[in-house]
This record gives sequence, structure tokens and C-alpha cells, in this order.
Amino acid sequence: MTKNIRYALILLAICGVAVFFLALTNSITAPVIEEMDHQNRLKALEAVSGGFEIGEQEVVDGQPYVTYRIDLSEGGNAAGWILGLKSAGYGGEMTLVASYTPDGVMQYAQLLGHSETPGLGKKAEESWYMEKFKNTGGQQPVPTSKAMLSADDAQAISGSSVTFTAIARAIAGGSDYVKSLGGAQ
Amino acid sequence: MKLNWNELTKGIFKENPVFIIVLGLCPVLGVSTQVSNAIGMSAGVLFVLLFSNLLISALRNFIPASIHIPAYIVIIASLVTITEMVMHAFVPAVYSALGVYLPLIVVNCIILGRAEAFAARNTVIDSILDAIGMSIGFALGLTLIAVIRELLGNGTITLFAMGGFDGVIRVPWFYNNPMRVMSLAPGALLLMGYLKAFFDWKGARKKEA
Repeated sequence: MTKNIRYALILLAICGVAVFFLALTNSITAPVIEEMDHQNRLKALEAVSGGFEIGEQEVVDGQPYVTYRIDLSEGGNAAGWILGLKSAGYGGEMTLVASYTPDGVMQYAQLLGHSETPGLGKKAEESWYMEKFKNTGGQQPVPTSKAMLSADDAQAISGSSVTFTAIARAIAGGSDYVKSLGGAQ
Repeated sequence: MKLNWNELTKGIFKENPVFIIVLGLCPVLGVSTQVSNAIGMSAGVLFVLLFSNLLISALRNFIPASIHIPAYIVIIASLVTITEMVMHAFVPAVYSALGVYLPLIVVNCIILGRAEAFAARNTVIDSILDAIGMSIGFALGLTLIAVIRELLGNGTITLFAMGGFDGVIRVPWFYNNPMRVMSLAPGALLLMGYLKAFFDWKGARKKEA
């Protein structure tokens, strides 16, 4: 009994010291990470806005892929939407932003956060990756499987089918959501 | 105080963790798609291995044998989390490139293997030398695999962007004729097999001589 209590106290002491150093590191790094994430998000919104004016963010509830929406306008006229999207990739949750025309055609998309495998799913960070989805969601359907891609595009996503499908479903979900808004803003 | 330099050099060649002891192969095969990933992962392993060996060796008479595994795991996991937070804040490109392999350093066999096999039984100075030697050996092995895979698979050598340099060296001919399989998992296993066979053959020749 005494031995077990001694073991527990030793482990408690080690954990206590570990917690102290983790808290100290977190207090230094957390503000830097928060600011960096904020800047990255602003850059991503700017990149997908297509030069339109970016409106206010509104939280969207009850949608499988859409988490928030931001209206885009030009000279006071509605020009489309930016949607915050989430999906489940190979390494867990992925978040992205994508812009759509009022009738649900995807214009630009950018991956914001993910834990995809380097060299495989992580390729989705690169700008060429999202080009496969550009101008889809309207008359041209969003490619949600490799079979819907050209041979070159299918080869390029080789080894990352789960990531591709997750992104494609999120973009298709975003397109459906914009269509459900009826094109009116 | 006399330094035992053999503890430092053994990890580089004679007991190279990648090619001879064959430890930590999961991250080696996973992150070796780009040279920059290999360098980032090597830096992470160096930090964690150095401090875990140091702490475990310093605490070896304080931690009872019956609870040594949970105690080591707490120490290693804390060091990995600190590495992760620091990389995320100050070298986000490397943090992003390493992805899931960074937190997986916790279960890297090299870290726990060296803690168990060496740091728990040797002095702090010897444990530090062992950690540095093993980390250099790991870095050399990982970088060698990454250079070959990236060169053959993409025709590039990716380092870190600096000023006007985008960090990517495009190697003529290889860039236009990539062997895509080398970028994928089968290519990594194939290359690892050839390199392991080469180092075994070299070792056997040395013994015969």
C-alpha cells in the first residue's frame, strides 16, 4: 500500500513538472499561433473573394458541411458567397473556405486547417489541387470520385482518395447550400 | 571528466537507428517524401531525444522500475508537445509539412528505445552523447532516403524558402521524367529494402575483412 502511494506520488510529481513546462510553453506560443491563424484566415478570405467586397460573417447551423457564410458584393449588388466548410479527411477534420456565385458555382477554394499525411493528402494545400473544382457545382457537377476526373488529374491525387473525396463532398455540400438560398441575398 | 566519444559515433554508422537497428521506420517512410520534411523531423527528434535521454538519465535513480514506462511516456509526450507548440508558433512551414508525424514522435521507437536501453542505465553525459549520435544517425538515414525519393519521384530537392529562393531545386531530366512510385509508400519500402541490403552487405564485408 505504502509502495503504491509512493509510486503515485512520484508519477504525480513528474506530471506536475510536465504540466508546468507545458503551461509555460503554451503561454508563450498560444498568442503567436492565434495571431497567425487569424492572419491566415484573412489571407484565405481575400484569396477566394475574387476581388469582391467581403461582408459580415454569419454562423450557419444544422448543415453537414457549412459552418459559416460571408456575403460577397460588388457596388452594393450581391455577387456570391464565401462559405466556411468542414469535412472529415484521412487525418481528421479539415476546414476550408470556398467562394460561390449566387447560383452555387464554386469559384475559388483554399484549405485552412487539416492533419493530412505529408506527401499524400497534404497536396490539397497547393493551389493546383482546388483548380479541379473550379466552375463546378452548377451545370458541371462537382467531381466527387476519381472516375469523374481526367487521367492526369486522377494520377495527381493518387494516394489521397480519402482527402479528395472529403474536399469534394464539402464543396458539393457548399454548392447545394448556396443553391438552397435561392440565389437571393 | 573524460568523454566517451564512442557513445556519440556509434549511432551515426555502427548502430545507425534507421539502417542497422531499424528503429522509427514509420516516420522515416512517412515524411521522406521531401528533404525539408526530413530536416524538420530530424530537428524534432534531436530535441526530444536529447532532452528525454537527459531527463531520464538524471531521474534514473528516482523512478522505480515498476512505473518507469508511464513515467517515460509522460516525459516524452511532454517534450513532443512542447516541440509541437514551438514549431507551430515559430516555424509554421515545418510544422505544417510534418503534419501528423510530429505528434507521432511520442511513439517513435528510437525515443523510448534509447530511454530504455541506454539512458536508464548510463550517466547523463553518456546519455547526451548517445542522443546526439543517434539523432545524427537518424537525420542522415532519413535525409538520404528523402533525397533519393524526392529526386526520383518529383525531380526536385525541397529545402526552405529564403528571400527570392522558393526553396525548391528542380533537377533537369529528373524533373521531366519523375518515377511517381517513389513518392508513394511502395517506393519508400522498395528503397528502404535496397538501402538496408546495401548497409548489411557493407557490414558483412567489413566483418569478413
